[in-house]
Amino acid sequence: MSPTGALAQSREPGGMPPPDGMSLAQSAAMRFPQSVRVGDLIGRAVLQPVVTRRAYGTVKQVVRAADGTVNLIVDYGGFLGFGARPIAIPVDATVLVGVEIGVVAYKPEDLDKLPAFSEGGATPLPADSSIKVGLAKPFH
Amino acid sequence: MKSLFRPDQIPDAAILDNHRPLLRSLERRNFLRGGLSLGALSLLTGCDTSRPEAIESALRAISDMNDGVQQLLFNPNKLAPEYPESMVLNPPKFNAKYDVMSVKPVDPATWKLELAGRIEQKKPWTLPEIAALPKKSMIIRHICVEGWDYIGQWSGVPLRAFLERVGADLSAKYVAFKTADDYPSSIDMATALHPQTLLALDYANAPLGDPFGFPLRLRMATKLGYKNPKWVTAIEVTNTYSGGYWEKRGFSWFAGL
Repeated sequence: MSPTGALAQSREPGGMPPPDGMSLAQSAAMRFPQSVRVGDLIGRAVLQPVVTRRAYGTVKQVVRAADGTVNLIVDYGGFLGFGARPIAIPVDATVLVGVEIGVVAYKPEDLDKLPAFSEGGATPLPADSSIKVGLAKPFH
Repeated sequence: MKSLFRPDQIPDAAILDNHRPLLRSLERRNFLRGGLSLGALSLLTGCDTSRPEAIESALRAISDMNDGVQQLLFNPNKLAPEYPESMVLNPPKFNAKYDVMSVKPVDPATWKLELAGRIEQKKPWTLPEIAALPKKSMIIRHICVEGWDYIGQWSGVPLRAFLERVGADLSAKYVAFKTADDYPSSIDMATALHPQTLLALDYANAPLGDPFGFPLRLRMATKLGYKNPKWVTAIEVTNTYSGGYWEKRGFSWFAGL
């Protein structure tokens, strides 16, 4: 029995957060971004990429910011559904892990500092449009 | 009164911890695992539980017996459940023995499917040649030994039709696969001939993406996920058991659902 048997799944997606000097977009491009229908992303769980699969919230909306960045709007924080606030997480900071979405470029303390999302300047993307999201191995 | 059958030396309980990965690989046989106690182990290994190799071979024997029982129970005509198109997850879930950044895309222009072993026509196949064969589609559940699953739509050439076309010996025991990512695998002939066993070329009506095994992967509705090699480059029909990547690391070989 080789000890690698216990490593059938990786703990953390490699290359995230991006090393110094690499942009989010560059690191996302290394993760074989796949086309996903925006409407299919709504309601999906957004998780911390750890074995305990801590849930941050669910995707409420996908928007394009004034600077062109595509963001997932996630209801973040709170307790038992109370006190959550919407935050904008760049899609290039996330990965698709099957039906779920992992935030690989930010730690929980980074997300805590993000301001509440306000709609000014952001354009919601229609359900039938598609965006590209990188992949990662399951983190369980 | 102390039992006359109680051994003088009681086995060290750490033995079960040391062999937890192997015990886990037996998870579909809970009744056997339930029966696996230190006492039972000492019976199987002639009381000498301090030798890990002896325990490992005893556990291996149980796992091999499971494989044999599963092979006996396998019904070559029984179909696994299929699902409506609305349940298909697109893109599918990525998984491999490494993270996605290490995926090395296969060049379709130079890719060939090589054939070996008990096959009459061993001429290698190019992608356009294989893609021109009649295809079949199935919407099935992918079930991973790690505990997750999703529903996917796979299309491709039924392995049975392909083996018949190249004149394979269908009475051979095994069909073995080699892949571009060095993930050897092998299956029993009964499963190779099952109607829900495909050489898959498409997912959700589009060619497979690079991370999912482009240009060709095995897709079976009747076995666990790790039995479905991606980026297949060679098929061998043989009577010699060759195991596979995870099988060599203690996973069950038959791995039926």
